[in-house]
Amino acid sequence: MIGQAGPTTGRTLLYVPGSSFIHRINPLTKLVGLAWLAASIFMLPPTGMAVITAIAFLFGVAAGAGRTFVKRFVLTLLPLAVALFVIHGMLIERDDMVDHGLISLSPAGLEYMFGIFMRVAALLTVSLLFVTTTHPAVLLKALDSHGIPPGVAYLISSPLLLLEPFSARARAIRDAQQARGLDLTGSWTARAKAFPALLIPLVTLALSDLDQRASVLDGRAFRARRFRTVLDAPPDHPWETWARRLLLVAIPVEFGAMLWL
Amino acid sequence: MALIDVRALSFGYGAAGPLVLDRLSLTIEAGERVAILGGNGSGKTTLAHWLAGWLPRPGMEPRGGEMLAEGRPFPQWSALDRATAVQFVGQVPMQQLSGFAFTVYDEIVFGPGNLGLPAEEIRARAEAVIEACNLRHLLDRDPFTLSGGEQQRLSIAAALVMRPKILVLDEPTGNFDPESRDSLLDQIRRLPADLTIVLCDVALKPALAVAHRFVLLDEGRIVADGSAHDVFRHPAAAAVFGVPAVAEAAALLRAAGRWPAAAELPLTLAAATALFREAAAC
Repeated sequence: MIGQAGPTTGRTLLYVPGSSFIHRINPLTKLVGLAWLAASIFMLPPTGMAVITAIAFLFGVAAGAGRTFVKRFVLTLLPLAVALFVIHGMLIERDDMVDHGLISLSPAGLEYMFGIFMRVAALLTVSLLFVTTTHPAVLLKALDSHGIPPGVAYLISSPLLLLEPFSARARAIRDAQQARGLDLTGSWTARAKAFPALLIPLVTLALSDLDQRASVLDGRAFRARRFRTVLDAPPDHPWETWARRLLLVAIPVEFGAMLWL
Repeated sequence: MALIDVRALSFGYGAAGPLVLDRLSLTIEAGERVAILGGNGSGKTTLAHWLAGWLPRPGMEPRGGEMLAEGRPFPQWSALDRATAVQFVGQVPMQQLSGFAFTVYDEIVFGPGNLGLPAEEIRARAEAVIEACNLRHLLDRDPFTLSGGEQQRLSIAAALVMRPKILVLDEPTGNFDPESRDSLLDQIRRLPADLTIVLCDVALKPALAVAHRFVLLDEGRIVADGSAHDVFRHPAAAAVFGVPAVAEAAALLRAAGRWPAAAELPLTLAAATALFREAAAC
């Protein structure tokens, strides 16, 4: 079928093409599952969070996104772990500080650090699992086909799509201003002074684009009807509908239980 | 009732800005192919925005006159009716993209999807414009990664798939190399005969390739309206466009007594060839 294979075969942002079980789940189910896991993480002990992290990581590896996971872990979690270790384990004075020669460590601080670290790690891992297995185009179609207002879907798609043209324009403005003598290689003060010369045309052109794009969208009958016709909407099995309902009910119940108990 | 009826329209940007359109009157019938020609700042793009229903809008009202489409001003049309009545393709291809589609195919079906048409009809319409605009090999590409020419073909396809009565093109080949320009003009020329096309351009070649009626705009006023020769006889035309090379060559031949004095100077190579053949046959 025309155009059906395209959106899910190419890499977009962190998406990794594939046909794993997680890839095949309806994006709306994954989104609700992500919301449930994010809510649950706040109620679990660090070991529970570690289990969620490990399971999500294994699913990610099975979906072919292992490299992306490892790269993001190294870029995000490693610096975070070091910072948390230094702040909570060493710098914040606690009663249980233990001297290890050159450094003194607080076991309570380290335990606290581990809790925060595992919470961030679990949130990052389940979020990564969602974005590496869900193409934005398929997410849009899922939202559209479930009657989510088109404006909401546009808020998701347009930043992803317009980011590259916006960056290209920023580069063009920088080059044009440098050709006119703007100094971007001098001191920090000189660069700060040059900043408005880059920012003002960028913002002005972006505002002009907004006007143009609004007219284009009007011309294409965007939001003229409450719902759009969606071609090639992702499949949605009955079990997924029930799973979403259960998870959506579970979130407030879990929060209620946490506050009550 | 005329399809488009512009009645003594005066318009300028801002409350005190100069008039861009000055008591301009123009009638366009269904199925006409009209080229609106003029130099930079003559008011072509503003007129194109009026014809496409992009104007008026709050804060941008006419200072006099009105524009009617099938007897009604565009603000009285519903968004759905207007989208199926008229489509606009502007000068900058990237600005014509919706920002909603990750593939060329999704960009094409974006408009019909908004109309709420049945899926099968959307697919059939998409098939037709994919062929007409030669986009089949690009269907899975990201629209923002296409070349300017490809994006412009996509913009035209996205406009045609709405099945409008009027297609307004504002300098659609402005940034094209000659080969891409000729290819796009050929595709525009082959569009359905009942589609009304209004082509606003500063260049002669696109107008001669597409239009049957020519309107010359100068400082927001229509100074000539008729055949290509009617327009090019006007002094403003030579000032804006220069004399086409083929007409210049014919004028030199005429001065040398080797071109029929009674014949109009040709504006295209095809017209010149026909005249030569006619002369040879005599």
